[in-house]
Amino acid sequence: MDRILTMNFFHRARRLLVFAALTIGLVAHAADPARPIIAQAALAETPAQRIAIITSLIGSGDESIQGLLAAWKEDALFVYTAPDGAKIPVQLSGDKDDQDAQTAARVDTGQPLLSPAGQPLRLIARELTAVEHTSALRRAMKAVLDLLDLSTPNLKKRISAIQTLGFAQDAEKLPALRARQKLETVPAAQLALREAIALIGLKDASTEVKLASLQELEALHPIGSADALKTALKEAEAAPHPSLTAAARAALNAVDRHLTTVNFFGTLFRGLSLGSILLVVALGLAITFGLMGVINMAHGEMIAVGAYTTYVVQNVFGPGLALSPFGFSFHLPGMNTGGWVYESYFLFALPLSFLSAALVGIAMERTVIQWLYRRPLESLLATWGVSLFLQQFFRRVFGSNNVQVSSPSYLSDNWTFNDIIFGWNRVFVIGFAGLIVLGVWLVLTRTSLGLLIRAVMQNRNMASCMGVRTERVNMLTFGLGSGLAGLAGAFLSQIGNVGPSLGQSYIVDCFMTVVVGGVGNLPGTVVSAFGIGLADQSLQQILLNPVLGKITVLVAIILFLQWRPAGIFVTKSRSLEG
Amino acid sequence: MITKLTQLLSVGALALGASFGTAHAAETVKVGVLHSLSGTMAISETSLRDVLLFTFDEINAKGGVLGKKIEPVVVDGASNWPLFAEKAKQLLEQDKVAVTFGCWTSVSRKSVLPVYEKNNGLLFYPVQYEGEEESQNVAYTAEAVNQQATPAVDYYLADGKKKFYLLGSDYVYPQTTNLVLLEYLLSKGVKLENIGGGFKKDESGKIISAGKYTPFGHTDYQQIVSEIKQFAASGDACVISTLNGDTNVPFFKEYAAAGLSAEKCPVVSFSISEDEFRGLPAKQLVGQLGCWTYFQSINTPANKKFVADFQAWLKTTKTPGIVKDGRVTCSPMVLSYVGVYLWKAAVEKAGSFDVDKVRAAYKSGLSFDGPGGKVTTQKNMHVTKNVFIGETKADGQFKIVKSFDNVYGEPWLKGKFKAK
Repeated sequence: MDRILTMNFFHRARRLLVFAALTIGLVAHAADPARPIIAQAALAETPAQRIAIITSLIGSGDESIQGLLAAWKEDALFVYTAPDGAKIPVQLSGDKDDQDAQTAARVDTGQPLLSPAGQPLRLIARELTAVEHTSALRRAMKAVLDLLDLSTPNLKKRISAIQTLGFAQDAEKLPALRARQKLETVPAAQLALREAIALIGLKDASTEVKLASLQELEALHPIGSADALKTALKEAEAAPHPSLTAAARAALNAVDRHLTTVNFFGTLFRGLSLGSILLVVALGLAITFGLMGVINMAHGEMIAVGAYTTYVVQNVFGPGLALSPFGFSFHLPGMNTGGWVYESYFLFALPLSFLSAALVGIAMERTVIQWLYRRPLESLLATWGVSLFLQQFFRRVFGSNNVQVSSPSYLSDNWTFNDIIFGWNRVFVIGFAGLIVLGVWLVLTRTSLGLLIRAVMQNRNMASCMGVRTERVNMLTFGLGSGLAGLAGAFLSQIGNVGPSLGQSYIVDCFMTVVVGGVGNLPGTVVSAFGIGLADQSLQQILLNPVLGKITVLVAIILFLQWRPAGIFVTKSRSLEG
Repeated sequence: MITKLTQLLSVGALALGASFGTAHAAETVKVGVLHSLSGTMAISETSLRDVLLFTFDEINAKGGVLGKKIEPVVVDGASNWPLFAEKAKQLLEQDKVAVTFGCWTSVSRKSVLPVYEKNNGLLFYPVQYEGEEESQNVAYTAEAVNQQATPAVDYYLADGKKKFYLLGSDYVYPQTTNLVLLEYLLSKGVKLENIGGGFKKDESGKIISAGKYTPFGHTDYQQIVSEIKQFAASGDACVISTLNGDTNVPFFKEYAAAGLSAEKCPVVSFSISEDEFRGLPAKQLVGQLGCWTYFQSINTPANKKFVADFQAWLKTTKTPGIVKDGRVTCSPMVLSYVGVYLWKAAVEKAGSFDVDKVRAAYKSGLSFDGPGGKVTTQKNMHVTKNVFIGETKADGQFKIVKSFDNVYGEPWLKGKFKAK
């Protein structure tokens, strides 16, 4: 205890000195009062001291704070030991030269660091110790920045700052929020401000303010206020205070009703997105299995081909890729792009995934499957063999570990409307599925290739008699189905693992979707994919258990197939095989 | 006369040969290595085989144990639990190994346990586990729950977290760990309604399962992540994850896409070490926490030497099938390494390879200064060691943010923490 007191005292004394220096005007840049304080924090001995000093910045409107704290978080603040032994915190910035040296600015003044001879010094980051930061310290920094962030032009940041202040329920922050309320023009931020002020109002001493806050929260029903409302309800019940209790109940009910709506529409959206994923992965199989009748166990590996293509494209846009397939090692050169050029890799990966999987599919059709069109059960064994072969091939080329595919920023954020999250990757897959279905439909119904495909699939012999080159049509159809699987793989690399066994985790889902939809019926596949997706997500939401949800869906499918063995849509065929 | 002479000579030669033979046999001691070198667990367990072979070479270069060189007998459990028991039997009954280093999953340990107890063998087990076990035939160098999970909770509590969401893969280790954590959180004054993930109760209303569980290979985390987002909407929330292996990838990708970050709602994962990181998307994990009794980034001369020696050994070793590039060290590897040295110390103290004598010596409180700091053996076959909490960096290493010194390994935690 004594030690802490002395430490505190020591701090105050030091800060007093700094302030004294400031007021006397000894420090050249009196316009940036936060700078010396941050410098002092950087030199503090323990994390606790650092946090105390940083917290003291709260309320300061100094513009230098943001940049310095950001630099600190990004490990760009260092302690430089001058020849005379003095420790000087510096910020390194600018481009690195041949020796990796950067320009150094003193944290306390913002001026360039000078050598004893008066020349600006350039320092090398790895030769200095970066000033450390713990998560507790970053929270302290965040608290400082939150108040700064109240006026940041970035709307998302501003709203997050307002919410943080609200949840803290700290009455001291109220004036800052009210001041902001007068200036704020964006409706979303105004709403956040009202919520935050109402939340802080729950802790107010006067009953009127509490009551008004509760009514405000009832009107606004923010999800995050549920905990604070529960506490308020307990307090009101304990008091006991009937009108407050009733108001708190009403507010809680409003929040609950809102949550129900959010979950309903959220589930709907998640069901659509899961359905789209099923559709994207199963559409290729609906062609190779549904139309062509090949029990294609290697469909999953076609998905993996697409995913690995995305991985390779990503690395070609980045630093390149070292591979050692079958004992040889070679290096795929990279373009070392950055920024939006690098992020656009995914757009190039999509067509390439289609092409590479289509080529693998065509090769497979030429070597194995073309001999098996009349023997569907043997196609099962042969394609299973191909699938094992391909898995081992991936292991030998890319290693048995999963590989890293990083999502571009335009696929890893979200829109939130009325608390319902719309992840960009999910919105993307829904649109993507729509486009693919449209594309396949156009190819099959509006092109001459589509006409030939339909003819050959209906009756191979008859089509052949009419002069259709059935071999070529078979090859192209199988290539189309495999290419669609490749597209699915490119997308799956954005939401899950890319590894040799990627295909195995989707093959069952694929067959399930196609069989439920009705083999040989593309619209059936679309309906069944969305049906399974929605059922799965709704059950997860109701049972709150992912395993039970999936099992229930499977049981339902088994029962459904007992009732309608041919799936949702039965394809009427004139062929004798059917 | 001549015949007698030849007889005498041949007897002498035989005797010489025999004595030479025994002398040769006396120079080595057989040691078993029982890990999965094929199948799903091979990715993780092969690294442990590698580090064990490195440790044996290091010890042999300095003269071995009690003057005898270590002769490893490496067998493959092939991620097949009954096969583990068979291989263990082979090691003990056929090869008569003095000690075995092995197992990763709890189920493989449970399946070999009867074999070791029946044959009075000794198994060193190096991977974090759920506790509730204390066999006289297993030396647990592994992290017990109070050397990984509860320190992480302490860290969160000190950081001002009030709401805890429990999430894990559906098998024995996460289930048991989360039940212990539930008791621990309640004992620390966290309210039941502030523990997320859901509970399962039996007829009497006793909680038999806490937290949300997904199967191995689960890919769709949308619903769970949106639930966490609502749970964390009021701030001061965190996630405790015992998700295993590659299910972490879809989880963390979904987590980032939903706009959750380490600053809004941090996740501490008990199953992601430096080694697992080789297949994870680093960008999405930056700032999330890990908790182990060792990190490669520990800045001590002992650890730097260990990492450098291991990497140098990888370059020169002629053992086939060892991956040489991009290798890292992690806690299970170091606990394997430490296990060999603790066994060596116990053998040298006992002056014998006899399992009963070695066990008695092991229980007497031996210490070894390993890469993660000092470790000391305990009476209950567990090990006292330092615990570290690290934040993930983009390069797949951890920045240590907190350490707990000399944490006693306590396997029996269920029912130990009483709710306030």
